[in-house]
Amino acid sequence: MSFKNIPIRKKLMAVNLLISVTVLFLTCAAFTTYEIITLRKGMVQGYTTRAQIIAANSTASLAFQNESDAADVLNAMKTDPRIMAACIFDNTGKIFAKFPTNTPDSFFPASSGKSGYQDDHLEIFCPVVQGGRTLGTVYLQSNLSALTDLYRAYAGLAAMIIASSILVAYLLSRTLQKQISVPILALAQTAQAISNRRDFSIRAIKIGDDETGLLTDSFNQLLASIEERDKVLQTVNESLRAEISERKRAEDALARERNLLRTMFDVLPDYIYLKDEQSRFVLCNNRRAEDNATSASVDNLVGKTDADFFPPEEAARFRADELKVLGGTPLIDKEETLVRPDGTRQVILTTKLPFRDSSGKIVGLVGYGRDITERKQAETKLQAQLARLELLNRITRAISERLDLRSIFQVVIGTVEERLPLDFSSVCLYEQNTNSLTVAGIGVRSETIATELGLTKDTPVDIDENGLSRCVHGQLVYEPDISDSKFPFPQRLARVGLRSLVFAPLLVESRVFGILISARRQPHSFSSGECEFLRQLSEHVALAAHQAQLYDALQEAYEDLRQTQQAVMQQERLKALGQMASGIAHDINNAISPVALYTESLLEKEPGLSPRARDYLTTIQHAIEDVSHTVARMREFYRQRETQLTLAPVRLNELVKQVIDLSRARWSDMPQQRGVFIKMETHLAPELPVTLGVESEIREALVNLVFNAVDAMPEGGTLTLRTKISENAPHFVQVEVSDTGVGMDEDTRRRCLEPFFTTKGERGTGLGLAMVYGIVRRHSADIEIESAIGKGTTMRLNFPVPATQITETGKSMAAFTVPTRLRLLIVDDDPLLIKSLRDTLESDGHFIITASGGQDGIDAFRKAKERNEPFTAVITDLGMPYVDGRHVASAVKSISPSTPVILLTGWGQRLVAEGDVPPHVDRVLNKPPKLRELREALAQCLHSNES
Amino acid sequence: MPAKNFLRNGFWIFLCLLAFAPWTTRAQSREYQIKAAFLFNFAQFVTWPPTTFADTNAPFCIGILGDDPFGSSLEETIQGEKVNGHPLTIQRYRSIQEITNCQILFISRSENKQDVLESLKGKKILTVGDSDDFLKNGGVIRFVTEEGKIHLRISLEAAKNADLTLSSKMLRLAEIVEPEKN
Repeated sequence: MSFKNIPIRKKLMAVNLLISVTVLFLTCAAFTTYEIITLRKGMVQGYTTRAQIIAANSTASLAFQNESDAADVLNAMKTDPRIMAACIFDNTGKIFAKFPTNTPDSFFPASSGKSGYQDDHLEIFCPVVQGGRTLGTVYLQSNLSALTDLYRAYAGLAAMIIASSILVAYLLSRTLQKQISVPILALAQTAQAISNRRDFSIRAIKIGDDETGLLTDSFNQLLASIEERDKVLQTVNESLRAEISERKRAEDALARERNLLRTMFDVLPDYIYLKDEQSRFVLCNNRRAEDNATSASVDNLVGKTDADFFPPEEAARFRADELKVLGGTPLIDKEETLVRPDGTRQVILTTKLPFRDSSGKIVGLVGYGRDITERKQAETKLQAQLARLELLNRITRAISERLDLRSIFQVVIGTVEERLPLDFSSVCLYEQNTNSLTVAGIGVRSETIATELGLTKDTPVDIDENGLSRCVHGQLVYEPDISDSKFPFPQRLARVGLRSLVFAPLLVESRVFGILISARRQPHSFSSGECEFLRQLSEHVALAAHQAQLYDALQEAYEDLRQTQQAVMQQERLKALGQMASGIAHDINNAISPVALYTESLLEKEPGLSPRARDYLTTIQHAIEDVSHTVARMREFYRQRETQLTLAPVRLNELVKQVIDLSRARWSDMPQQRGVFIKMETHLAPELPVTLGVESEIREALVNLVFNAVDAMPEGGTLTLRTKISENAPHFVQVEVSDTGVGMDEDTRRRCLEPFFTTKGERGTGLGLAMVYGIVRRHSADIEIESAIGKGTTMRLNFPVPATQITETGKSMAAFTVPTRLRLLIVDDDPLLIKSLRDTLESDGHFIITASGGQDGIDAFRKAKERNEPFTAVITDLGMPYVDGRHVASAVKSISPSTPVILLTGWGQRLVAEGDVPPHVDRVLNKPPKLRELREALAQCLHSNES
Repeated sequence: MPAKNFLRNGFWIFLCLLAFAPWTTRAQSREYQIKAAFLFNFAQFVTWPPTTFADTNAPFCIGILGDDPFGSSLEETIQGEKVNGHPLTIQRYRSIQEITNCQILFISRSENKQDVLESLKGKKILTVGDSDDFLKNGGVIRFVTEEGKIHLRISLEAAKNADLTLSSKMLRLAEIVEPEKN
């Protein structure tokens, strides 16, 4: 590597080192030279001095000729190893003494020599002078080892100095060269980075304001201008590149497009071609080529004219058209019918346009032809199809407006006959049971044929083996020619000149209910489209007919539904009424409770009661019972009858008496107010067997019948109640309610048991007899109605008598001994009731504590228990505010489980009936309470406790 | 072997006697030539008190008392020489009384040294002789000839008495003796 090429850092260091070494070397050389010269001089001087000393010391020896002494003096030279030899000459030049003593005299030079350096030694001559007289000469010879030693020492020293200096200079220059090299190198690196990355936005960092700094500044300025120019260049470059790639893309696209176009051109099913002015093909797509020439290809078509492929007259026609086009008149969408060599006709839709060169001159023509043969055919078919569709549509619309079968059939036949058209058309209904057809409709035009055939409306037609039988199994039958048919019905038709025949089944839910018959005089005259049309038409007709049938059914169902809905609405109304009545009943029961209790107590216990008072009190008691029963009946409105009846023995005679009493107001009091008199008769069979049933229900039924009887006698009459054992069925007992009223006609008699059927207008609910009927049915009994207008009505209920005669097991009161002196807690929110209960029970000898609320009652019970004075039993009301009877009962039972709880309620019957006796309650008693019942309940509860 | 050794030694002695006999006179003069040079050299290594010289040009005098054994060699030695600027002169003294201004006095064997030296006491004169008891009698430096070489014996006491400073260089070469000993 030449010096020029080494890095600037090394260059700087090398220069520094070279300078330092050169200077140092020169310095050392000069110094050494000086030193050597000085040394040589010094050596001469030193040895001269030494010689002078020897001379001084050897004066006496010379003067007094004492050689040994002189030798002694010379001997002192041995201390200096460099002295090779020494001698003293006397003044005659003779050697007087020498050193070392064995040195031959010839070694020494003459005494007259001069001091100075010889080849390899130093010679010193020094005269011995005493008192101005020269006594002799001292001679010294020294080798130059001192000098050489010194040379060596100097050389070593110089080498060391130079070496260490170089080292120091190296280190210093290494450090100091950075002052110059670093900025330059930084600059160089920046330049390197720029050239590597081609990034002219990089800037050199300026270090100091010296020349390097200036250089950096100008470098950066240079960079800035380069960067700017680079940007400009890049922009230009970018745009150039973009342009190139754009052009490339465009070329590709063009090529692709050309390919695409050619492919599309070839793929197109149409004829596309270009012709020159002489109508020669210049260009055409594959279709054109394939079509025209048998072994055609695009190539062998080019250059030919239509005359090469078509008959002369056609070619001439084409040429004439093309000449017009070449004249500038375009040929647009001309339909040309060609006869192809194989005889088939082809319809081509041709468009020919003039083809101009870039200057606008017409140089040829562009032709475009589309084979529309199939389209034409399809159009024709479509037209027919559309016509039929429209017909179907019309018929469908027409029949959808009709709901009776005959008119539907008439419309269908008439329209089809006229529009299809048909020579004969008819609809027959199929009767599956008899396997026969009945003519249901015949077309207007078909009438004459029909008459010839003997086919008129409602004429039955037998099912043939073939044809019709297939049709009634759901198939469309088409007979193209029936002229020689073997089957009777087609033969009949053939006889009147009909030849082709279609049987279309009328199908609903895969069941054939009729046949549409269509016939023409022309054989093979039904196309497949017409067959299809008839099939569809038959479906529509079938549907319409079916819909008509369905519509009738729907009407009926709707009527039923309407009636049911009304019944339900009535029931809802009654339910609301019943709930209200139930509330009223509860309040009435509460209110009459004290009356009942006091009355009973008075009648039983009061001593000295006058007969009149007793009579009054008895009447009050009955009245209270009536009230209570009336209230109970009110509740029946609401009560849902349980299906399971708890049957009990029923004595119908007693029941009849009760009914008379209960309904007295209606048959006696109310008519009398209007001035009408109704006579009540009773014919009760003695020893009537006991029947099983629910007393209250039967009573209610009878009361209803009595009411009806009364209502039937607005002008008065006789109402007869009769019980008897059935005459024709001994296991039945009968109860009859007969009146001499208006009676019922047959229709009313038939319907009178239906719910909501009433003859009373707004006054009646229509539920009375329905309820009666329900009760009767539940008791496995039945009802007989005998009525004649103006004569009256007898309603007879037949109750079955159980096989084993039931002996009444009614418990007598005597079975229970009611203890006295019981501690009883009475809980009720009604103060009147509390007071009456207290009074009556106290009069029985019991100890009574009362509480006016549920919580009070519970507290009182708990306190009594704590006082160790527990209650024997608790009588509580059910409905109380805040804490009701159920809570009281459960609290009492939780404190003392064995204490009986008797629940007193205005809802009592309902509770028992609905199985809703609350837990912890031993007995439920109805309001108004009866003393007898209370005693019985107490006795029972305590008795069961004891046992 | 003694007989043989003897014969060999006697032969060599004989030869030596033969060789030296004709040269005795010449040897004598050679000895004194050296002694004359020594006398001159003493002037270099001995310092006299400053009062010895009247001025800087006053002559430095080397005197010989008694018989002159040096002949002309002393003159030859000092010819053209000066000591510290002082010109050199040679005086030959016959009697002690003649000695007036003299720095170095060689006392010849012929003289009665005891007397002479006695009379020279206190005078700033370097007395030099070569007789055996010269130092005993108060002389400062005596030449001793051993193995053909001339050595110096010096009496520091006598030198001190004569107020002379002797150079250590010279003293290093000489044998320092006490006068009583020899």
